[in-house]
Amino acid sequence: MTYSPELLKGTLKTIVLKLLSDHKKMYGYEITQRVKELTGDKIQITEGALYPTLHALEADGLVTTEVEYIGKRVRKYYSLSPAGKAAGREKLKELKNFMDTMIALLDIKPKTA
Amino acid sequence: MYQLDHQQIDFILSDLQQRGIRTESLRLNLLDHICILIEENLEENGDFHQYYTTVLPKFYNQELRELEEEAHLLMAMQRGHLLLTRNQFFLLLFAVLIGPFITYDLVWMINAAPAIGWSIPSEIWVSTLVFALYPLLVLLVLFFTPEKFDPLIPRGSKVLLGLRPFIRILPVDIAR
Repeated sequence: MTYSPELLKGTLKTIVLKLLSDHKKMYGYEITQRVKELTGDKIQITEGALYPTLHALEADGLVTTEVEYIGKRVRKYYSLSPAGKAAGREKLKELKNFMDTMIALLDIKPKTA
Repeated sequence: MYQLDHQQIDFILSDLQQRGIRTESLRLNLLDHICILIEENLEENGDFHQYYTTVLPKFYNQELRELEEEAHLLMAMQRGHLLLTRNQFFLLLFAVLIGPFITYDLVWMINAAPAIGWSIPSEIWVSTLVFALYPLLVLLVLFFTPEKFDPLIPRGSKVLLGLRPFIRILPVDIAR
């Protein structure tokens, strides 16, 4: 089962910021593949959602970029800026809180190990 | 593994530009992503153009320039813009366009009415009718335009007010 884009839309920034905090630097394709890998294909970030988000994060100063030239094309690596690290922690905290609220609201019983 | 040559890379770049990706960094990101997909999935003697036309639509719903618009929208929303519903936007327009006339009439009545009586001279109410009702009628027509005929602000969309761009309408699917 893959999750609907509507469900993922609000969490994409958090996912990207968290991945970048776990890895020194990543490029777009690598992010999509890492997410697929970590979620067993349940979450598939579309390019149409990822690149606008990366672009907005960069404009907002939350990520910094460096480029690598591969022949005629350019690969853009993203890494977290200090502001991005703080924003990532804040977003993760907010998401955890939101998930707790949803569990309570929808009366979902968490799986016990 | 397929190897893209310079001509093919130039072709992809120019195609992305033609399809509305004007921001260079976004275009370069997409180019790299598309190149990786082609190199990883197309066989050595595969048909580049055929594969390219198959893979590109996976990036968008209707048109590729959605990505450009989404990127600008996300940036605009982070810069302290005012986000209004359709009703709030029209209320703001009513207030901005008609408010001054109503205020003028009220101020006139408060100041002059006790001295000359409560009958409002025709110049005042006629000018109010002419100048306030005309924009009011235009706004009412716009407000009650059925959705299928309204290319400006469809029901459910949101209105973003800010300095750059001054007004932007968020389509219903993004606004939701």
